[in-house]
Amino acid sequence: MIRFILNGREIEVEVPPHWTLLRLLRERLELKGTKEGCGIGECGACTVLLDGMPVNSCLVLAPKVEGRRVETIEGIGNKESLHPLQKSFIEFGAVQCGFCTPGVLMSAKSLLERNPHPTREEIKEAISGNLCRCTGYQQIIEAIEAVVNHLKRETI
Amino acid sequence: MRGIGLNIPKVDALDKVLGTSMYGEDFSFSNLLHLKVVRSRIPHAKVVGIETGEALKVTGVERIFTAKDIPGNNRIGVIQKDQPVLVSDRVRRVGDPIALVAAKTIEGAEEACEKVKVIYEELPFVKTPEEALRPFAPPIHEKGNLLIEFNLIKGDIQVGFKEAEIIIEKTYTTTWVDHAYLEPDGGVAFWDEKGRLTVICPTQNVHYDQREVASLLNLPIEKVRIIQPTTGGAFGGRLDVTVQCFLALAAFHLKRPVRLLYTHEEVFQVISKRHPLKIHYRSGARKDGRLVAVEVDILGDTGAYASYGTTVAVRSAIHATGPYEVPHVKIRSRMAYTNNPWSGAMRGFGVPQIAFAHESQMDLLAQALKMDPLEIRKINALQVGGETATGQLLRASVGIRKTLREIERWRNKISLSKFDPERPFLRRGIGIGSMWYGIGNTGIANPSTAQIELSPKGEIKLYIGVADIGQGSDTALLQIASEALAVEIKEIQLIRADTSNTTDAGSTSASRQTYITGNAILKAIENLKKEVLKEASFLLHEEEGDLFVEEGFVKHRQKFCIALPIQEVARRTGRTIRGEGYFDPETTKLDPKTGQGSPYATYAFATHLAEVEVDIETGKVRVLRVIATHDVGRAIHPKNVIGQIIGGVAMGVGFALMEEYIPGQTISFLNYLIPTSKDVPEVIPILVEDQEPSGPFGAKGVGEPALIPSAPAILNAIADAIGERIYHLPAKLERVLEAVQKSKSD
Ligand code: FES
Ligand code: FES
Repeated sequence: MIRFILNGREIEVEVPPHWTLLRLLRERLELKGTKEGCGIGECGACTVLLDGMPVNSCLVLAPKVEGRRVETIEGIGNKESLHPLQKSFIEFGAVQCGFCTPGVLMSAKSLLERNPHPTREEIKEAISGNLCRCTGYQQIIEAIEAVVNHLKRETI
Repeated sequence: MRGIGLNIPKVDALDKVLGTSMYGEDFSFSNLLHLKVVRSRIPHAKVVGIETGEALKVTGVERIFTAKDIPGNNRIGVIQKDQPVLVSDRVRRVGDPIALVAAKTIEGAEEACEKVKVIYEELPFVKTPEEALRPFAPPIHEKGNLLIEFNLIKGDIQVGFKEAEIIIEKTYTTTWVDHAYLEPDGGVAFWDEKGRLTVICPTQNVHYDQREVASLLNLPIEKVRIIQPTTGGAFGGRLDVTVQCFLALAAFHLKRPVRLLYTHEEVFQVISKRHPLKIHYRSGARKDGRLVAVEVDILGDTGAYASYGTTVAVRSAIHATGPYEVPHVKIRSRMAYTNNPWSGAMRGFGVPQIAFAHESQMDLLAQALKMDPLEIRKINALQVGGETATGQLLRASVGIRKTLREIERWRNKISLSKFDPERPFLRRGIGIGSMWYGIGNTGIANPSTAQIELSPKGEIKLYIGVADIGQGSDTALLQIASEALAVEIKEIQLIRADTSNTTDAGSTSASRQTYITGNAILKAIENLKKEVLKEASFLLHEEEGDLFVEEGFVKHRQKFCIALPIQEVARRTGRTIRGEGYFDPETTKLDPKTGQGSPYATYAFATHLAEVEVDIETGKVRVLRVIATHDVGRAIHPKNVIGQIIGGVAMGVGFALMEEYIPGQTISFLNYLIPTSKDVPEVIPILVEDQEPSGPFGAKGVGEPALIPSAPAILNAIADAIGERIYHLPAKLERVLEAVQKSKSD
């Protein structure tokens, strides 16, 4: 039995010790928004936030999240109130097949929380662990930049 | 929102950003069984025995299937049916499927796979197409190792070379490239409540899958239902059958839901690759830069099975001249079976490979003639009234010159210095690459169908068999429908890519869906309007000939007070009104001896300009910027078209510099590198819209054209930077360093 905070709510769940966090999320908790692309830590499709930091959930053993904060795509927005990044991704055409999208969004969210005014280079760096075969990244980067610029305007 | 040319939100984007879209791997059932495939580890052998006894003892194993369990035809294949679903007598490549395990847990299925014992009698294996075509080479299929030889002959090649004042002759090679779509193949199958064997998994063509599954299981076609869920990319890799037949076979026998998810490594091992081509290219031009002769010999490796080998052989030959008018052409294109990984469809069907060759040749000619590379392209570029190598007269929408003009404008603004005084190990250069691409399948009928319905409840339903693989066909096709019907997009319900509810639209490939299904939708709407008028005439007691449909309303030519929304007509009649559409592009069959004919109804054109920086000490190439100009006819959704272009450039960077699948070595993303956010250049996409009169609202296609010119432009830019050319893709570090060495010694 492990206990952790998932998308702001404390949960308790039984899980075999060899299961990964990704498997726990997808197969036991039915949170299918986190994707399994490679299962070996190379594609970033399974990115979730662990205590605010992006991790490849396919590499994290489930028991390791005991007592920690896990955030997945299901926790960042919903139909009624989208996260600004989600809105921006739609607007900028940053989504094609969408399989990389939840992972990229998590990486971007973590970046903006740690560094609200990143440069273009810092954005590229932050999503460099998220492979995308469809978009060529440019519209993703523009979508993130637009949110940054919006945040900037709000703070001025 | 509606309308052509508007950047409406992609219809699937909301679910995708929320993470609520259902992909193949997201379906599951509580009582399902897990499947795993036992595969060959050697490339060529007779299978003399398959022992499953030990494997069956593994806890949780329910059943193990072999070829004996297939009630129907154990042969599949998109063009030639030469591939067994489960091997019975012979394996022809590493990864050939031999048995299928069904178990209660994935772990159990995996363990059982290890315990299935296959007894082989090894056969000599064929490693290259050259070897395959030698006399007495071990035959891989009964009919021999030559899959196809296609010849294209125009004019008189000898006359052409006699006229030539300069001749360039070179050999180019390309290698296996993986699609590297992010979502591994996988899905579920079950008998539905109506007694249909249902398969849900990623695909580019549900109706093709349906035919293969029905034939495999000897089922009437309507007893098989294929549904395409949201799909995580495809790029041609899901045009062949992947998991469909395994899923169907197991569910058919077990009568309970099954699930099969390929591992990432398995996808790399067993899904088709881009065909490696060896291209021997000879071009002749006059001193003024005019091309007079092009002679090309192409030899490709289709691997163990045919897949799209014929298509690639034919398409690469047809496109071998590039988007230029050449009076004398002779091309021979062959494809051979080997025991290598099988090659299949991948974004461009051989055209990216051949474009690398024809664009290198153009630059070499320009260099030899001391001409500007843009100038030589302008001199030779096709135009309306021009004739292609297959003798097709181009009647409209030939935007290649426009793309060249755009590139020229941009080039005039570039100030890129070859040397960097601060970093003396860098060299910079620019290069140009052009391309043309025939939209749709080559010289054969490739129709699509669509239906549109108005229900008595006032709903509008659009039925299309099209698989949207992420590129955005759902959105573009809805835009076409909404424009033609003059209703908002959100008023149209889309029913798509499900064999039980939609009819055959052909595959999502060859950049064909916007053009072909777009036209089928327009036809359906035209027919719907006719039906609406019939009904309206009855309802309103007016002559049908006096009525017409405009802006979504039935109107009267004289009585201006009549304006009845078309949905209202259906409501009042209490019946569903339906329009059906069919469209097949106008093509002709190619002459079997000379390859002459009109293989495509329309062509897309593009030119890219790449700026690169080469580190001459490490061989590392950085692509700084790509200006990408595309003639797409008309951009239905400019932002999505631009997305295709930018994504295409990224794939082009991979094809040019880093992607190489090495049989026996490449395992996964660990050692197969695709561009990351740090490897891609800035892309400046430019749309030149030379509208195609036969296209829906003038549209052609862009999916594959997006990728094709990038690698040629990058390779030409490298040559410009270091003064030496690379003839083999990818231009990886060692090859660049070798070229740098050569340029120093020259
Ligand atoms: S699935 Fe975890 S990194 Fe690819
Ligand atoms: S949108 Fe397809 S992988 Fe990123």
